[in-house]
Amino acid sequence: METHELALYFDENLFISDMKARNKEESLQELSELIASQRYIRNPGLILDMLHQRETLGSTGIGKGVAIPHGRTVAASDVVIAFGKSEKGIDYNSIDNKPAQLFFMVIAPFHDEKNIYLPILGSLVTFLNQKKNRERISQVTSFDEFISIIRGE
Amino acid sequence: MSKNELEKLVSLQDLDLMIGEAKEVEKLGFNMNGYDELIKAREKLAQDIPKPLLARYERLRAKLKRAVVPVKDDICLGCFLRQPTSRGSRGREESLIFTCESCGRILYWLD
Ligand SMILES: [Zn+2]
Repeated sequence: METHELALYFDENLFISDMKARNKEESLQELSELIASQRYIRNPGLILDMLHQRETLGSTGIGKGVAIPHGRTVAASDVVIAFGKSEKGIDYNSIDNKPAQLFFMVIAPFHDEKNIYLPILGSLVTFLNQKKNRERISQVTSFDEFISIIRGE
Repeated sequence: MSKNELEKLVSLQDLDLMIGEAKEVEKLGFNMNGYDELIKAREKLAQDIPKPLLARYERLRAKLKRAVVPVKDDICLGCFLRQPTSRGSRGREESLIFTCESCGRILYWLD
């Protein structure tokens, strides 16, 4: 998936330039509650539960300051990505043991007609593997700046 | 959070999907060193669901792949049959276990 297509799944209302969370649990809560507050999901508890199970499977902290908590659930109706940035960084039990600063929470429905969930995850990983992209994203203060970087502008 | 039976079924199905998809997600570059632990978590959750309901879930899953499906705008997203509106308010507020009269799947109201 090209990043201009990936950009379609972000939402200005699901963007936090300065997260309040101080630990991993709070980071999952902060982003899933934001998704629920925007009415993408009715029951944030179910999403949080699914995300906890996902972390049991293996930390979604992929290293280099990036975390991509993700999963599919019957309780979601659309694919959405919430973004959050923590200046201080959060201990996320990442594979390189470095604190996470950039959080991309991807929530998808159980049945995803267009089969876009896995391509979205793959495209995010590829994008964030590039040092230049991580550096630019870590500087953003507004959604407009953020989304133009995702679009590759 | 103490979950009701419907919520437990939703979690179980989410977990089954996660287990089924783990290999594909691993290929994208995620580590999956807790696979065995997740299988144990699945067993634990299943034990917490009344036996007849769990059996119903397993039967539906074997037959239709998805045992629990969302309802959106009163439409079953498993077979697209419209559900009576009166069911919706009860399905949401009381989290009762309703099944779709057309496809037999267990219904979860999204909105
Ligand atoms: Zn149906």
